Amino acid sequence: MNKSRFSSRFLRIKPFPGTCFHVRYSDMFWCVFFSALLLCMLLWGAATGSYQFSFVKSWHIIFSPESQPDRLVRVIWEFRLPRLFAGALCGAALAIAGVILQSITRNALASPGLIGVEAGASVTMLIFVVIIPGTISVQWLPVSAMLGGFIVAACIWSLASYSGYSPIRLILVGVGITSMLSACSEMLITYGDIELVESALMWLGGSLHQVAWLQVEVMLMWLVVAGGLAWVCFRPLNLLVLGDKVAFSRGVNNRKIVPLLLLLSVALTSSSVATAGTLTFVGLIAPHIARRFCADRHGALIPLSALIGGCLVVLGDTLGRTVFAPLQLPAGLVLVLVGAPYFIILMSRLRHS
Amino acid sequence: MMQSQRKHHAERRFPTLKLTGVVLLLLAVVVASFWHLSLGAKSIDWTTIWQALVAYDPTNSDHAIIRESRQARLIVSLVVGAALALAGVIMQAISTNPLADPGLLGINSGAAFFVVASTLFLPMIAPQYLPIFAFLGAAIAALIVILLSGWEQNAERLVLAGVAVTAMFSAMTAILLLIDQQGLDKLRHWLTGAIGASDLDKLHWVYPYLLGAMVFSFLLVRSLNAFHLGSRVAEGLGVNVLLLKITGLTLVIMLSGAVVAVAGPIGFVGLVVPHIARLLVRNNYIWLFLYALLLGALLLIVSDIAARMVLRPYEINTGIITAFVGAPVFIALVLRKMK
Repeated sequence: MNKSRFSSRFLRIKPFPGTCFHVRYSDMFWCVFFSALLLCMLLWGAATGSYQFSFVKSWHIIFSPESQPDRLVRVIWEFRLPRLFAGALCGAALAIAGVILQSITRNALASPGLIGVEAGASVTMLIFVVIIPGTISVQWLPVSAMLGGFIVAACIWSLASYSGYSPIRLILVGVGITSMLSACSEMLITYGDIELVESALMWLGGSLHQVAWLQVEVMLMWLVVAGGLAWVCFRPLNLLVLGDKVAFSRGVNNRKIVPLLLLLSVALTSSSVATAGTLTFVGLIAPHIARRFCADRHGALIPLSALIGGCLVVLGDTLGRTVFAPLQLPAGLVLVLVGAPYFIILMSRLRHS
Repeated sequence: MMQSQRKHHAERRFPTLKLTGVVLLLLAVVVASFWHLSLGAKSIDWTTIWQALVAYDPTNSDHAIIRESRQARLIVSLVVGAALALAGVIMQAISTNPLADPGLLGINSGAAFFVVASTLFLPMIAPQYLPIFAFLGAAIAALIVILLSGWEQNAERLVLAGVAVTAMFSAMTAILLLIDQQGLDKLRHWLTGAIGASDLDKLHWVYPYLLGAMVFSFLLVRSLNAFHLGSRVAEGLGVNVLLLKITGLTLVIMLSGAVVAVAGPIGFVGLVVPHIARLLVRNNYIWLFLYALLLGALLLIVSDIAARMVLRPYEINTGIITAFVGAPVFIALVLRKMK
């Protein structure tokens, strides 16, 4: 009996009476592996910068700050750690949003930017920064960006489901609205005062330089609530990938579950856009990288791609800080540079197989 | 035998209706051009414009305004509109996709990135060679889009591949502009598709490519008509489909690359115009090409007029106006055609 349990390569977990989850050992291994990788990335990010530490030193500063000089502790705890954590959390949120969208639309090229959150948030942000600067204080900017994102996403959803929802309509209406909004933001970029435009552009490129612990806490809350809800929905997601009819026949009501999932991904995207600007390329590639390890099983795919998304953003941010040293490149742009070639190769290979 | 041939001839009678349409469109373009010339910081009446065009008097200040600055802008918008519309028709024909457009599929942004990169990194290169970089960028972007989506007839996948490629190239452009902030100030107007009087010089660099591509595309008419019936039918009728697609793509790259080099990335003209043209003349490509050329020129002149009228005394970039016109059309198309 013991032997058969091992050979099936599952671990049966029964959290509540009547429920049983099969967890594969390989999934557990990859989750642990990527958690360790994320930890290493965080340590590396904390150690590098204009003030360089060794790995061991940063470990000591993070885990036993009392014994270390005050100055070093402040560098790490007040400047680098909030930024790193915010990056990791945003990456995780966007990756989950990406998984949800790619499964709902059954399209490997869908990204969280499609549902217009990014574009709506950018336009709102630009309006408040460039046209009417000073009307709302800095800490309310992310909230207004988030509201803008929600409104635009609601518009896209209502247009796409106006005469019968279908994934392809959602995607294409999203593309249309997004390009109109990006024309809006281009107009603001072109006619705004150049100083204001540059600070807005920094933000739009996905930059983490103004993050404090408060934003990290807010982000963590969003990620836990919305990401957790999305994880609970892994069975409907598994079925939705097989097609609306199959899902319907297996008891998934896609009229109810699709709007709910979309709402979750909008919440995840907009909270991370509000914290770190536009980083949505993570949402496109992190799910693909995660699929290399666990295929389309969403129970494992969601946590794995969240971890990978976190790793990617921390990597992009640290590279952007250090490669052109005095100049800071926004993490989002670095990620596109690093990720785009990989993405293209991956997609062309997928298409041929 | 003779009788059947005569009957055949009778069926292919002279296309009076379509020719009338062409003449009417030509008339509309002329009227819009006059309107375009008359608008500006100083409005000039139409008789003066006519005199400035046929009997130029350099001492007259109104004549000088028309001939020196406004005429250049008009010519640029005419050529740009016609070229973009033609590129759109060819693109939709070879990809058999009603949603294809050089702007949506990332070709414009690829060309724009290469132009920005070459102006920032290789300032010693003479500006006449900018179109070459634009072609290179357009070609690379097109290849990536094909790699991502394949030749298959999947509208959604093609558009999404275009979105991903656009995101990639615009991020790279943004990085370049963040590194070089003077460049940002210099290039930010051009990057949203601006038409200005100074662009006439740039037009001189790309004339040969544009004219060549336009003339050559009329040679493709018969093959495109056959291809419209499906690639198998076209192969049966003796069309080399692969060659046709490659030639068509090269033409699109040349047309849109040249336009980007002149006026920056202007989107949606290539999407909207072919659909309007198809409403008027169905699917005979020789008429489609003619109508698209005229309608594209007309659309861009009208957008340019709007760009100068809406927020006087400021000017909005023409590319932004075309996006505002084109995106709703795109959404309407999606809602009607996609299930």
